[in-house]
Amino acid sequence: MNKLLHNLFELDSPESAGTKLQLRVFELFTVVYTLYYSWEWAYYIQRLSDVILPLGLANYIDVEFFFETNLAFVNAGLITVFILVPLITKRLRWTYAPAFVLFHIQYVVRFSQGQIPHSSNLIGFSLLGLALGGVFIRDIKRALPFAFGFTIFFTGLAYTSAGVSKLIASGLTWPDGYHLWLWIGEKSVDLLSRTSELQLNPIQQLALSSRFIATLILLSGILTELSAFLLWWKKFRPFIFTLLIMMTFGIYVTMNIFFKAFVIEFIIIGYPWNRFVNYLLNYSNTIKFKAASRWLLY
Amino acid sequence: MVTERVKKILLITILINIVLVATHKGEFWPFSIFPMFSISGQPFLRGVVEEVENIDRPNLWRVKPLYKIEERVISLQEYGINPFDFANYIKKTKYWDAEKINGLRSTFQIECYSDKMWMITRVKGFFNDDNEIVIYTYPMFLLTGDTTYKNPNLSTIAKIDE
Repeated sequence: MNKLLHNLFELDSPESAGTKLQLRVFELFTVVYTLYYSWEWAYYIQRLSDVILPLGLANYIDVEFFFETNLAFVNAGLITVFILVPLITKRLRWTYAPAFVLFHIQYVVRFSQGQIPHSSNLIGFSLLGLALGGVFIRDIKRALPFAFGFTIFFTGLAYTSAGVSKLIASGLTWPDGYHLWLWIGEKSVDLLSRTSELQLNPIQQLALSSRFIATLILLSGILTELSAFLLWWKKFRPFIFTLLIMMTFGIYVTMNIFFKAFVIEFIIIGYPWNRFVNYLLNYSNTIKFKAASRWLLY
Repeated sequence: MVTERVKKILLITILINIVLVATHKGEFWPFSIFPMFSISGQPFLRGVVEEVENIDRPNLWRVKPLYKIEERVISLQEYGINPFDFANYIKKTKYWDAEKINGLRSTFQIECYSDKMWMITRVKGFFNDDNEIVIYTYPMFLLTGDTTYKNPNLSTIAKIDE
């Protein structure tokens, strides 16, 4: 147990500029995407009129009053303040906690229409990690590595859980290529509805031409998902994150769904950039960087 | 060194995760069992909107294969509508009262496009007996700037399941 926790929460050279830079880029990315989603959803909420499927706190609060008012914009404004303050000042890190709660509310209001997307869950885990670190650890030197490890832990858990869910719901025949054919048909209708165009790309045509190839595509996907818990160990991390990135592109070409935020975050947290930056700094003039790091890092 | 505090925070969060997903059908954002694409081989239900030019055409309310209306399907993206929300709205609504229909009109802001006539259409895809995918479309409502026309067989279409 302790070895696993060490793999998750202890970073190499924690006091080095490379490690601090990687952690701050992770924090910046989380803040940018939280802002992006909060404001995008605020604009969309204005078009909604009815709760079809209550999620999360919407099971306990009637969120329909958001539809008739500008509250979604007020909420986005509050989230903005609560996440920019700790990012810029590096203090008052507990304000990530109210930001997380308000972000949850923004999500359940926006996605009250029956669709349950998981594209923002990783950002949610990152923000929750920052919030828990801000409230219970406080000191940025320990809170940021905690949020980083927390996100990696839940990324591994989420993907492995996705793989297990498939086996529980459909059994060992889940990777049968026929199933991919049906999903390609379904996603093509979604694409037609979105863009008014229906055209299969070469990968989709290839998958539809052979049940065996379609089966191989699904098999590689579920094996990648099931192995995602290996992210918890440092030595497997770059390899598994590379597989997850490849799988994300595979989902894009076969089903027209692209998890852009996931790919960017995997690139940021999945590789030992800290070592690379430290190596570069050892061989270059660091005076300017040292001056900038006082403001950018911690 | 990883402190006891870090260990405690992680374990409590995992526990909260388990309790929340177990009591909320697997979803309490950001916690989830991540069930996407877990049920395989099932027919699918989606939605498209067909642009209609002639309200008097004889096959207006008939069930048709998707390829027959493909050319006339409008891009929801151009009107700022999320196709998944739209598909879920028509998929999950079993009883179409005035409130539900008005919700549809308000999402489409059809009053702003008085020269348009849009057919709200359910789509069902499934394997036929020869293991080929077939996709059929089921017209539900025709929205115009000032009127909503209902398919005479709406109650049957609204109950089509996946």
